[in-house]
Formats: sequence, structure tokens, C-alpha cells
Amino acid sequence: MTKFIRQLKFDILRIVIRNKSFLFFTLLMPAGFYLLFTKVMDVGNGPELRQFYMTYMGSMIIYSGVIGAVMGVATILKSDRDKGLTLFLQMTPTGSKNYYISIYAITVLLNLCALVILGILARFVNNVEFSLKQVAMILLIILIGQIPMILLGTLMSNFKTQETLSVASNLITFPLAIISGLWWPISTMPSWLQAIGKVLPTYFANNLVEKTMLHSELDLRDIYGIIAWIVIMISITVIVVKAQQKKGLSISEA
Amino acid sequence: MEQIISIKNLNFSYGRNEIIKGLNLSISKGEIIGLIGENGAGKTTLLNILLGLLPSKQNVKVFGGRPGSLLAKQKIGSMLQGDLVLSNVRIEEFLEEVATQYNNSIPLEPILIKLDLVQHRHKFLKELSGGLMRRVTFAQALLSNPELLFLDEPTVGMDAQARHIFWELIEELREQGKTMIITSHYLEEIQQVASRIIFLQKGNFTFQGTLNELQALHKQTTISITAECEQYNFAKLVGVVKVEKSGSQVAIKSIDGDKTLKELLLECPEVSNITVEHETLEKIFLQMTTDKEQR
Repeated sequence: MTKFIRQLKFDILRIVIRNKSFLFFTLLMPAGFYLLFTKVMDVGNGPELRQFYMTYMGSMIIYSGVIGAVMGVATILKSDRDKGLTLFLQMTPTGSKNYYISIYAITVLLNLCALVILGILARFVNNVEFSLKQVAMILLIILIGQIPMILLGTLMSNFKTQETLSVASNLITFPLAIISGLWWPISTMPSWLQAIGKVLPTYFANNLVEKTMLHSELDLRDIYGIIAWIVIMISITVIVVKAQQKKGLSISEA
Repeated sequence: MEQIISIKNLNFSYGRNEIIKGLNLSISKGEIIGLIGENGAGKTTLLNILLGLLPSKQNVKVFGGRPGSLLAKQKIGSMLQGDLVLSNVRIEEFLEEVATQYNNSIPLEPILIKLDLVQHRHKFLKELSGGLMRRVTFAQALLSNPELLFLDEPTVGMDAQARHIFWELIEELREQGKTMIITSHYLEEIQQVASRIIFLQKGNFTFQGTLNELQALHKQTTISITAECEQYNFAKLVGVVKVEKSGSQVAIKSIDGDKTLKELLLECPEVSNITVEHETLEKIFLQMTTDKEQR
């Protein structure tokens, strides 16, 4: 455990505290979006507006998670792999397990920070009220709902060049956010696009957060949807890792 | 003597590209191996196999077990070609992180002092020159107090002073009985420390033995003299293969230096400034690689 704590401290220092741009994209951008959209978009008055303030907060928390997982995890893992850190760790008795858990923990921690920041903004700027039970529920959804995205980020870190990864991250993050209804309601999109959006992991997670915020009953289809994505992403990750091991670590790491 | 590494009939290919061909090798505790070969000869592949980073079968043993076993990881320190230049990390923080990965790590301070890194400890890795970063990588390899060290091109980028410090430390490690495998393009440095030289050419070991044995195989000696009898036909002397003259300065290349010198002193006693040079590792290496290409 001590080794893991040390690894976590080391990674937080280099990846979060001394990396302002990463903080900006994962925390400040979703917060900025929240303020911009809730103050600029005309979504009606009274209860409708209140509901939008609540649900959009949830959407931006999920969006922050997507950025952290797809852009953050993928970029960090790729960069560390290119520099030889993962290869070095694999040559040590401790191995790379602590490192991977630490990177994933940082991603989740940052998402929790996003929850706090967005929660404060929603509460004090838009007068949104929520209970501790709702916060706890959202925390749980974030923890589970982010797993497929983190695994996606892990897989994307295997792209050969940083340039390819950068293009792919943008091509995945923004369409994923838009199509699954994180930026604006999914109902405003054409039906064929809605059909795609409604099977994405972010859609399921967003639905669960939205229903929690609105005190509605959770839909089992959303839970099953996330579980299915977790199973799919774990299976693909296992296949890729096994293929890499067969090839030889130094080839895939070099 | 305790056997540290044992390789029997090792083959390795990347796809159809055969890199290692039927290698056999045994390394005992305390040996310092100078692994020499051209670029692409298979040196790094061999080190990667020994580190367990590339798959191998039962025919490779490191500390009696498979490469990459927990025991091997605890006992091996490696300084590979690429340095770990992490962003936003200072030297001291980086080395502390390295030490965390080992249960048997040694204190950082003496290593910083030995490698003259104390005044640089708060510098970010990204700000370091190539030579300074190489010293940090050496410190990284030493932190686990390894019994076996893999040093792949260790002095690349180091200035003369840093190289001097590095080889002094290698000498110290040798005295402590550490086993080392060193690859380097600075062959004159390897020949100072290596107890055994191994030539790897296109995946094959073309020579394994001491420097003396290697020199005996390539026993060309250069005798340089200042001769008053410059009209003398030095090519007639026993063993002479080549004579180069520049005024009274004569360089005689012989495959039997002792006999050539004896005969020379009898035939032409008024020579002075005699120097006798055996073939250096670098010259032998160049000769061997050229021969192989010509074949």
C-alpha cells in the first residue's frame, strides 16, 4: 500500500499539479461550458429552467469524465510508454500494476473534483439544490460509468504516434459527447443519430445521473448498458494485451 | 564459480527476420563482459531477452530461473539506451520513485555524491543535457544495489569528466564482485575493464574470450622506430606484412612482433625511439567487421 501511495503522489505531482493544461481541459472547460450554456441558452423559465440547470450539471460531469479518460488517460499512458516509463516499471519487482491503478485513480479523482466544482457552480450560481444521497449516487455512477471510458483511453494509448492519438482523441471525444446528448438534448438530433447515441456508454451514464438529479426511478436498461460496455471493453483490452505479450513487451513498448 | 547467465542454442526472430542464431553463452559471477557488435548485430535484442522483455524458451536462465522472474528483477540493474526523460519531474523525485520500486534499494545520497549529481538534484529531467541525463540513468540502475548490471551504450553523450567518473565507478563495482554486460562504441574503454570480450555479428558470436586471446588471434603488432639505416629493406624481416616510411620514421607491421623486433635489432642496431603497439580492440573490431563483409 505504501508503494501505491508513493506512486500516486509521484503521478499527481507530475500529471496534475505541474500540468496546468491538463487541469484546464478536465476541470475548467466543463465548468466553463456549464456556465456558458446555462447562462446563454434559452431553455424556458421556471421549472423547465431549474430542471435544465440540474441535468446539465450531470452532463458536464460525465463530459469531464470523458475528457479525463479518453484524452487524459490515453495521452498520459502513450507519453509514458514512449518515454520508457512503463517498460522500466515492468523490469522492476513491483511491476507496472501500481502505476496503472494510480493513473486510473487520478482520472477518477479529477472527475470527482469536477463534480465538486460543478456542484458549487450549480448551487451558488444557478441555485440548484441537491441532497447528500444524490451526490453519493452520482459518485457511484461516475465510478462505474467511467470504467469503459478509461479502458477506451487505455486502448487508444496503443496508437503508434502522438499525432494519430491526438486526432483520434478529438474524433472520439467530441462526437461522443454530442451524439450521446451531453452538450444539448439528444432529442434535437436526427433519428438515425439518436439511434447511435442511445447505445453509447456516455448516454447510459448521463441518463443515470439525470434521473438521480430529478429524483426519478433509475432505468435498468441504462445499468445493463454500462455493464455491457464494461464487458466489451475488458474483453478487447485483454485481447490486445495478450497479443502484445505474444509479440514481446519491448517491441510494443519501444 | 556461481553461474549467473546460461544460454543454450538461443534463436530469436522478428517475423522472418532472424536476429539471434543459435547462441550459447555462460556468464559467471564477477565477470565483466564487453559485448561488441555493429548496429543491428543483435546486442539490444539479446539484452532484452535476458531482461525478460522478449519471449524466450527454457534455454535461457538468469540467476537459475527464467528471464524476467521476480528474483531476476530484484538482482538486475539496467541502463538501457533510452533515458527516462519524464516531464515535470526533478532528478531527486525521479530517483526516489525508482527506489520505491525495489525492496532492497540503497540510500540515494551516496549515489548522488558518487555521480556528482548533488548540485543538480533539484533540476527537472527535461532541462538536463544528454550526458547529465545518462548519469541519472546510471544512478537509476545502481539504486537497486544490483548483482548483475546491463549497461547498453552507457557513456553516450557524456563528457570526458563524466566518462572518467563512470569508469571509476565501474572499477569500484568490479571490486565489489558485480557482474556486468557492457555494450559500447567506445571500444578503448571496454578493453580497459572487460574480463571477457564477445563479438556478436549478425546474430552469431564470432569470438568469445579475453582481450589477450583476441589479440593473439589478430596478432598484428606495429613497431615504430626512428632509423638511421632507413635504406634497409625492413620488409625482409621475419613476420613483416607492411612497412610505412616517412623520412627516418618507420612503422613496421608484423604478425610476429617479438621475432621481428629481435631480428631488427640485430640487422639495424642504430634504431631509436622504439615503440611496440599491439592491435587495439577497435582495430580488431574494424578488421573483423570488414572481413565479414568481404566474405
